[in-house]
Amino acid sequence: MSCRQWLSSAVRRLPSGAGQQQTRALSTSTPDAKGLQMLPRAGGGGGSGGGGTMIRRVVGIRGGNPNNNNNPTDALQSLLSLGDTRRSGRGPVTAEEQREIMEQQQQANNARLSVRDLRNSATTDNFLSYMPRRWKAGDVYSPRDLSPVEQKKWTKRQAPLKDIVDLLGFNPLDNYKNFSFISEFMTPFGRIKHSRETGLRPVNQRKVAKAIRRAIGMGLHPSVHKHPELMRLSNQGFPMYVPRTTSTAEKKL
Amino acid sequence: MATRSVSPGGALLRTSRMFALPSPIPKPPSDVTGKDFYSDTMTQAFPTHQVITTLSAPRKQGDWGLKRPLPLRSTTKSSKAMLRVNAIDSVEQITDYTSGTDHGMTLRKFQALGLPITLRQQSQVGQPFSATQLHIPTPSVFDDEFDFTAIDKKKQDESTDQRWKFSGPWLSGMPQGDFKKWLAKEVRPKRPAFRAFLRERIANEMNEAAKLAAVDKGEEPPAPVEASSITEDQVIAYLRKLRHNRPMLYDMVGKFLDLAPVKPSSAAEEGLAFLKTQGKVLEYRDVKSPWAESGPPVTHPSAGLSYLRTSMYMENHPIYGPQKHHPSVQARVIRPYRSQGNQAAKLGVAGFVVETPVGDSLLNSKTGGKWSYIDPTLVGGAKTWVQPQRATVSSHGKVLMSINDASTETTLVTQELLGEKECLGTPLVQPQLHQPREDAKELRKRYAAGPPAMSSAEDYGLDSKSL
Repeated sequence: MSCRQWLSSAVRRLPSGAGQQQTRALSTSTPDAKGLQMLPRAGGGGGSGGGGTMIRRVVGIRGGNPNNNNNPTDALQSLLSLGDTRRSGRGPVTAEEQREIMEQQQQANNARLSVRDLRNSATTDNFLSYMPRRWKAGDVYSPRDLSPVEQKKWTKRQAPLKDIVDLLGFNPLDNYKNFSFISEFMTPFGRIKHSRETGLRPVNQRKVAKAIRRAIGMGLHPSVHKHPELMRLSNQGFPMYVPRTTSTAEKKL
Repeated sequence: MATRSVSPGGALLRTSRMFALPSPIPKPPSDVTGKDFYSDTMTQAFPTHQVITTLSAPRKQGDWGLKRPLPLRSTTKSSKAMLRVNAIDSVEQITDYTSGTDHGMTLRKFQALGLPITLRQQSQVGQPFSATQLHIPTPSVFDDEFDFTAIDKKKQDESTDQRWKFSGPWLSGMPQGDFKKWLAKEVRPKRPAFRAFLRERIANEMNEAAKLAAVDKGEEPPAPVEASSITEDQVIAYLRKLRHNRPMLYDMVGKFLDLAPVKPSSAAEEGLAFLKTQGKVLEYRDVKSPWAESGPPVTHPSAGLSYLRTSMYMENHPIYGPQKHHPSVQARVIRPYRSQGNQAAKLGVAGFVVETPVGDSLLNSKTGGKWSYIDPTLVGGAKTWVQPQRATVSSHGKVLMSINDASTETTLVTQELLGEKECLGTPLVQPQLHQPREDAKELRKRYAAGPPAMSSAEDYGLDSKSL
């Protein structure tokens, strides 16, 4: 009897009614959230509070009389009589059952937390796709740098500001066997990139183009896909640039 | 010497902004060679143009001391009067200007931190400060040993380990292509000059040796050998000797071209003796220059940001007395942790992006996930209290700060001083906490009947706030 009193008092202490709980469950948009709203909520009265909602959930699912929900003692009674099919008798809730309820609630709580983490993570990812700048220590930021107009400029890959061939001081024609260098200056479909993408000055662009044509002509480099060695590297998880999709249709906010 | 009288027109020109504005300094060097993601309009690591300001009354008339008044619509809206003038007079006969608040406010915020600029610590890769050395004091950039602004030409060779300004490049930071170009354009034409330099060295060495030998024998030293009397064969023989002693050759070339000091290879640092047997001489060398590892700075190592020599002073609270720590400051979470790619969180302190406190990482988060997510419901974004520790200027002119976790007590005291929280001091007055800001419309309504009878410095535009 004392156990019953404890549970019922916990139910009474809960701020929200069972009817509210139901409407809330229906109004949530995400399907996973909907399922979880049916589960006991954390907080409130802690363990006892969770136990109370548990009872109401069972009542709600069974489609019992809504008036019953207002009376926690009746709700508890209905649980004890109908809820547990394993139980044949009508005695009070034993300590073992109580522990079971607590465990169940703990599991649900953990699931709820992990889903909350997932949801937060998805929200963060969505927001961060609008803030693509990778800040480095020592960068100066003003409010304008955090603005959408400024952040949008960091989404697009731009031609390098410096001529890489000049900077590294090598002759592209000597490097026709360097597949990593060759594939840097051509598309995966075998087209030579324009100088506005490569950022090379005309002399070096011509040299690079000739090196690519030579490599393909000698059969050293595939002309219709990426070099197999690079594909192997990317399959093994080596860092390779993969362009990010920034289509607004994909945002899940 | 009497001062020359200047004509009224000349005096006017001399005191005008047109002549007071310095010419812009070069842009900050880009640290990444093949960088694909950038913005040409982002705030640069350091300002290149002078920021000008004006008083509030002339500002309302567009008077910034320039050739022509500036448009009111774009210069009077900001609460801070700061402008950057790109061109006083362009071809289109307009004054080209932009807002200067980005760097202007950053400077003000940085100076409010009260941090001295220190020298960079050595032997850390990519990190401005290492975790183990965080509590070892670093010397200030204004220490007499390192603060070189005017260098005597004669003492140039002696001060190589302390100087930060060199006429030659820092070879460790030079890409191969640039190095080849520099060799062809700058170094090759200097071949005859280097031979003359060597002749002088040979003559010096011979004179010293002769002097020593004479002292040993107790004789008079012989007449010194002139540099011009050194034959070509002697120079070639000396060159051959130099070729097998790389460190000595580098010393000579470095002195001749005034190269910035380079950190010796680890083998040379360890002084491996066995390399001597292979016909090469590799001596132990200790480079004392703080710029050997990451290159000399582009500006004075303080970058003019702070002139403090130390942060070893105590804050005094009017009620609680001397404080252990300097006041905590609020940092903005610029970018949260991302487990994808193991990206660290980035914080912003006083307008500079800083790394998270030492020991804080994705797996070992001290804040319990506070920096892992963006909470869109937070007005103004996530912020956190931190304790700035030290600041240094990198060789690219970037300000690298290191921060620590703020102590709870210091944060509470700081917040109480700001009127945000209540500690042991005077209880907060509620209306003072939640005083709504008056907008322009309300102010106008209040002043519609004329200004209030009592006048203050602020009403006359003398207060610093109205500037």
